Amino acid sequence: MSGIINFSNVMFKQLQWLIIKDLRIDWRTKYPIAGILLYITSLIITSYLAFTGFINPETWNALFWLILLFVSINAVAKSFAQEEDRSSYYFYLIKPSRIIIAKLIYYGIYQLLLIAIALIVFSVFLGFPVKTSGPFFLNLILGSLGLSSAFTMVSSISSKTNNNSVMMAILGFPVIIPILLLAISNSKILVLGGSIADITANLITLLSVNVIIIALSFILFPFTWKS
Amino acid sequence: MAILVYVVIGGFLFQVPRLPILNETIRVLHFHVPMWFGMLFLFLASVIHAIKYLSTGKVQNDIMSSQLAVVGVVFGILGMITGMFWATFTWGEPWSSDPKQNASAIGLLIYFAYFILRGSIQDEQQRAKISAVYNVFAFAALIPLLFILPRMTDSLHPGNGGNPGFNAYDLDSNLRKVFYTAVLGWTLLGFWIATIKIRYKLLLEKMDD
Repeated sequence: MSGIINFSNVMFKQLQWLIIKDLRIDWRTKYPIAGILLYITSLIITSYLAFTGFINPETWNALFWLILLFVSINAVAKSFAQEEDRSSYYFYLIKPSRIIIAKLIYYGIYQLLLIAIALIVFSVFLGFPVKTSGPFFLNLILGSLGLSSAFTMVSSISSKTNNNSVMMAILGFPVIIPILLLAISNSKILVLGGSIADITANLITLLSVNVIIIALSFILFPFTWKS
Repeated sequence: MAILVYVVIGGFLFQVPRLPILNETIRVLHFHVPMWFGMLFLFLASVIHAIKYLSTGKVQNDIMSSQLAVVGVVFGILGMITGMFWATFTWGEPWSSDPKQNASAIGLLIYFAYFILRGSIQDEQQRAKISAVYNVFAFAALIPLLFILPRMTDSLHPGNGGNPGFNAYDLDSNLRKVFYTAVLGWTLLGFWIATIKIRYKLLLEKMDD
C-alpha cells in the first residue's frame, strides 16, 4: 500500500516538475507568448477590418473558430519543437507517458488562457451575439481541449521532421477536422439560440473523440519519443 | 507463404467483377461502392501492420503498411472519380458539397499528409516509426470522419436523408449477388496489387543489403 502511495507521489512530483519547467521556459523567454498575443490581436483586427459592417451571427461563429484554429496551431506548434536543441537528459530519466501527460495538461491550460484572451478581444471588435452562453462556453472548452491535445500529438510527430512548421499544418489540419466540425456545428446552434438539449448528442460525440485522441497520444507517444 | 496465397486467390478472382451487369447508372454500385470498401480494408490492413511494426520493429511490416496505404489511396481516388462521374448525371454536378464527399476528400488529405511525412524524414528507422504512429493516429481520425459526421446531417447519397437506398431498386436480388462479389473481387484485387508492390519493395530492400 505504501509502495503505491509512494509511486503516485513520485508521479505527481514529476508531472508537477515537468509542468513547472515548461512554465519557466515560457516565462523566461517571454517572446513566444508575446508573439502569440500579438498574433491573436493582429488576426482579429484584420478580420474586423475585412468583415466589418456585414457580419451576421453565423459568420461570427465560423470566423471565431477559424481564428481559434490558427491561434492554437501556432501556440501548440512549439510544444515539442522547443525540446529539440535542449540537452534534455532528464527526459531519459522520466517515463515518456508522464511527459505526454504533462505536455497535455500544460498546453490544455495554455490554450484555454489564449482562447479566453482571444474571445475577449474578438468580442470587443466584433461583438458577442451568442444567445445561450453557458453551453457555448462548455462547447468551447471541450473543442479547444480537443484542438490542443491533437496538436500536441501532431507536434511531437512533426518535430521529428526536417520541415517542422509546414508539416505541422499538413499533418494537423486534416486530423483536426472531425473535432472542428463538431464544435463549429454545436456552437452555431448555440449562437443562434438553441438550448443545451439540442447539442447533447453532439457534445458527447465531441467528448468521446477527445478521449480517443488523448488515449491514443498516451499510447503512441512513447514510440515517437524514443526514436 | 501468406503472400503467395494472396496472389493466387487475388489473381484468380481478378476476373470476377467483370460479370455482365445491369444498365443505367445503378451500374456504379459495382464500381464506386466497392472502391470505398476496398480502401477501408486496405487502410485497416495498413494500420494493423503499423501497429505490428511498432510492437516488433520489423522492416517488412513498415513496407507492408506503407504500400497498403498507397493502394488504399489509389482506391479512394478511383472511388471519388467514379462517384463524381455518377453524381454528374444524377445530382447534376460533380461536387455538390455532400457531407460524404467532403469527408472522404478530407480522409484522402490525411493519407496524402502521411506520404509527405514519409518523404520528409531521412533516417529509415525513424521514418518507419513516426509514420506508423501517424498512421494509427490518422486512422482514428478517419473513423469519426467517415462514419459519424456524415450521419449527423442529410446526405444526397442513396439510403440517407430520405433517399431510397439501393435495396429499394433491388427487386430480384441479382444486384446484391454481383455487388457482394464485386466488393470481394475489388478488395482482393487491391490486396493483390499491394502484395506485388510489397514484394517489389522487399526485393529492393534485399538488393540494398
